[in-house]
Amino acid sequence: MRPLPYIFTFLLSFVILQFAFPIEETGLRYTISGHVKDESTGEELIGAAVIADELGKGTVSNVYGFYSLSLQPGLYNITFSYIGYEDLTRAVNLNQDLVINIELSENILELAEVTISAEGPRAHIKKPEMGVSKLQIKSIRRIPTLMGEVDVIKAIQLLPGVQASSEGASGFSVRGGNPDQNLILLDEATVYNASHLMGFFSVFNNDAVKDVKLYKGDIPAEYGGRLSSLLDVRMKDGNMKKFSGSGGIGTISSRLTLEGPIIKDRTSFLIAGRRTYADIFLPFAKDEDVRNSSLYFYDLNAKVNHIFNEKNRLFVSVYMGRDVFENVFARMAFGNQTYTLRWNHLFSGRLFSNFTLLHSRYDYELGTPEGEANSFLWNSGMKDYGAKADLNYFITPEHTLKFGLISTFHDFQPGSAKGLGEQSLFTEFKMPSNYALENGVYVSAESEVGERWNFKYGIRYSSFHNVGPATVYNYDENYLPLDSTVYSSGEFFNYFGGLEPRLAMSFMLNEKSSLKASYSRTRQYIHLAQNSTAGTPLDIWFPSSPNVNPQVSDQASVGYFRTFWGDRLEASVETYYKAMSNSIDFRDHAQLLMNQYMEGELRIGESNSYGLELLLRKNSGKLSGWISYTLSKTERIVPEINNGNPYAAPYDKPHDFAIVLNYEINKRIWVSGNWVYSTGLPVTFPTGRFEYMGNIAPVYSNRNAYRMPDYHRLDLSVSLSAKDKPGRKWGWDLNLSVYNAYARKNAWTINFVQDETNPSVTHAEMTYLFSAIPALTFNFHF
Amino acid sequence: MKRISIKILAIVLITFFLWSCTERIQVEVDSSFTRLVVEGSVTTDTTSHWIRLSTSSDYFLNQKAPAVKNATITIDDGEKVHTLAESDTMPGHYSTSSDYFGIPGKIYTLRIRDLDIDGDGVMEEYTASSELRPVNPVDSIKIRPFDAFGNFGYEIQVYAWDSPERDWYAFKAIRNGKLLTDTLTELWVQNDEFFNGNYTYGITSQFLSLDKPDEVLEVGDTVTFEINGITEDYYNYVIEAQSQIYPQTPLFGGPPANIRTNFDNNAIGFFVAYSLDRSSAIATADIVFPPR
Repeated sequence: MRPLPYIFTFLLSFVILQFAFPIEETGLRYTISGHVKDESTGEELIGAAVIADELGKGTVSNVYGFYSLSLQPGLYNITFSYIGYEDLTRAVNLNQDLVINIELSENILELAEVTISAEGPRAHIKKPEMGVSKLQIKSIRRIPTLMGEVDVIKAIQLLPGVQASSEGASGFSVRGGNPDQNLILLDEATVYNASHLMGFFSVFNNDAVKDVKLYKGDIPAEYGGRLSSLLDVRMKDGNMKKFSGSGGIGTISSRLTLEGPIIKDRTSFLIAGRRTYADIFLPFAKDEDVRNSSLYFYDLNAKVNHIFNEKNRLFVSVYMGRDVFENVFARMAFGNQTYTLRWNHLFSGRLFSNFTLLHSRYDYELGTPEGEANSFLWNSGMKDYGAKADLNYFITPEHTLKFGLISTFHDFQPGSAKGLGEQSLFTEFKMPSNYALENGVYVSAESEVGERWNFKYGIRYSSFHNVGPATVYNYDENYLPLDSTVYSSGEFFNYFGGLEPRLAMSFMLNEKSSLKASYSRTRQYIHLAQNSTAGTPLDIWFPSSPNVNPQVSDQASVGYFRTFWGDRLEASVETYYKAMSNSIDFRDHAQLLMNQYMEGELRIGESNSYGLELLLRKNSGKLSGWISYTLSKTERIVPEINNGNPYAAPYDKPHDFAIVLNYEINKRIWVSGNWVYSTGLPVTFPTGRFEYMGNIAPVYSNRNAYRMPDYHRLDLSVSLSAKDKPGRKWGWDLNLSVYNAYARKNAWTINFVQDETNPSVTHAEMTYLFSAIPALTFNFHF
Repeated sequence: MKRISIKILAIVLITFFLWSCTERIQVEVDSSFTRLVVEGSVTTDTTSHWIRLSTSSDYFLNQKAPAVKNATITIDDGEKVHTLAESDTMPGHYSTSSDYFGIPGKIYTLRIRDLDIDGDGVMEEYTASSELRPVNPVDSIKIRPFDAFGNFGYEIQVYAWDSPERDWYAFKAIRNGKLLTDTLTELWVQNDEFFNGNYTYGITSQFLSLDKPDEVLEVGDTVTFEINGITEDYYNYVIEAQSQIYPQTPLFGGPPANIRTNFDNNAIGFFVAYSLDRSSAIATADIVFPPR
């Protein structure tokens, strides 16, 4: 451990404090603080505006619904607002510190209307934040689905700068980055593989999700460890007022969520489950082996929270999910688990803190039935143990300060395999484990300077230590293993670290438009050994080490933001440039699984990405939705790949267009549709061929020199809900979705095959996964 | 085990990708320069050993690869240099005398001369070398019928000791003296990474499929299993070539990449020396599927 950088960061925080806390602004102030909640459920509202009308200034509630406003003594009207909810104004005589907890009720008139952004349109103009997209779960539910599964990740793939890693996949690439460069958090715990069923569905059960926020530009200084983006998913806390439930019966899965108070307004719980039943139809299959197969996944989300008093609250959240495939030959299972224990503590009305203990894990197993010569069981997994502290200091309405630290211990088990039963041929084989400690300490401030300028500036210091026991192989210049170094248990043997500045500013041109700029540096210490575009559940994570330097990204962006038409439309133009070093690629024909010399398969280079993102969005009214267009380029240079010439990065898509619309026909019926169009992904095609032992084999020229055909797709859905009768406690809706409505044959892969009758003839053959796929889902709530 | 696992995963997933469809499409690709392609081997069998020369072509040539004639080819085992004779009937084929055989432990070097593949008027010379590695004998084999997911066929189960050294194998199947696994994609290669020095207890080492007419067994047929002791380099060549010939998906495998070769001077293909052993079994009435 090297303490100096930590001390440096700590000292720097005081410098920032000085700037954030100008002397003339102090003086006598009292603090109004509290939580903003939904009246009917008691759920905290994230990002609700709290404005002192007289000053035209205010704050927004944080991720725990907490707000704090310190003002000079006086009489104020404080207005609480949240889109889709009725505004509420309280007259306050501020002559002492006050606690005001507010419950907002949903706006009945607008109830049926969708609001995409929770914070008003003006906040979007003013906030010194770029490349941030917040989606309300309500609007996500209105996006047409694949097989009826409402999916958070599928929704964010429709935003500018974000694309699916392959057809129907829940892996995504942000601004040309790799899918492993996205930090995916569920209640603050890392989710290492967010996919089910080979990626067609994500692990997030929308019934249990409260809030989703994607940062693709300046990731806040609180977070680190990934280069490209942060996807922050928050689970619902559970209804504090009354017992309620919701659920759905869909084409491939059913869901049920139950929530309610254990002690009213003090303790509540939520439990949500989902299971697919793709395999329920297998017994009808003609073939006995298909009948005896199973294929399913399930998710379980559970959460309990308890309010001890105004100053202390505890949350426990758990996620467990697993996919199981089984047939006569083989069995495969994989899944994530996350556990979070959080304690919200108020040191004062101005100083909010949250302390978190984290555990997350991902593992898989693959095997064959016992009793054969080739029977074996193979498993692999990783675990994280973490602790973090985050503090928010609300100095004045113009200045807030955040600081904290996080420490995570990583435990990687890259794989072990053994024969099963006495008859098995296989010797037990275990890959050496890896352990590492990753730390981060940060301080950041948000300041409003004058009427026009807003700044967000922070710094994070991150560090990474490999921890023994470990066996590290040393490689020669041809990447062949020379010898190995063995480190003993508990030994800290390798260190990386560095500062990560995060800066953003906005300048209000006028009431309706602003210019913004940001710069951020991010470092990534753990990486996914994924060599295919879509990836498989077998891909393993591996740490930086003496042979693998951390990836570093520097990103700068500028943008223009404005609203039109009486704030009904909001628009933004953002451009970015991103330079990434120590980008990871792999040698040709790399062996990434069960290979103790896997580090010798890596080929390291540099990448850069730049682009222009346009977004036009209508947040309210009968017609809502957005149109997005991205023009971008991402290139990689790796000395040993493609003869050292630059090549298109695997997720480089020059053009990416999406239109997402929802139209409210009346209170009971809405229709929605989205259409996406993008350039095909880069691909390597053969330019020559040769014959060998009766087969035709390809000869390739340049890496990624060709493109897959352009991709486009239309999805539609219509929903009918129950008549709203006063006093009725339950409701239902019926949703019909069609994925790929005009049955576009989008190439998933292109292969070159020999003709069956004349082996000298070769054809190009494309495989597409989906024709038009309709799905019917019945949802209910009580 | 790695490869078995990937195969298993692929089989498992097929259940899930039932609704995917394939369709022929037109793809425009560029040309590439012409390379010499060499296929050939030296084995421990006493027989004529063949070397085939052809050239690479544009991808959609849609004809048999052009044969390369009038080359001078020699095989050097470190002591003697043997010159091959060009066939009159099979263009591009060159053979050793019929009493030629390889000896384990020797290194064989193939030299090809008197060719001007790049057309610059200057003759080129191409060489490749391969060690001839020994192989442990097979004790016995068994034939077992299988029926899974509507696919019918036979597994060849092998009983043998793996040597305590690192080994790389190729497995072939022969029916009544005729080689069934006559294409690169039917060849099964295996290393002993996960079972070094163990007894194999009847591990499945080749498949016959009823979908292929020449693999449909009749009662009394002799099925022969051939084990080849190959080099690590040739093992990797086969793995790489198979991965590029098999259909690829976004799920598995890395980006397409050129297949290795042990030739110099931009030639492609592979020259391999290997030892072999065979073991046979008779297809009996209790295991043979009735004619369909």
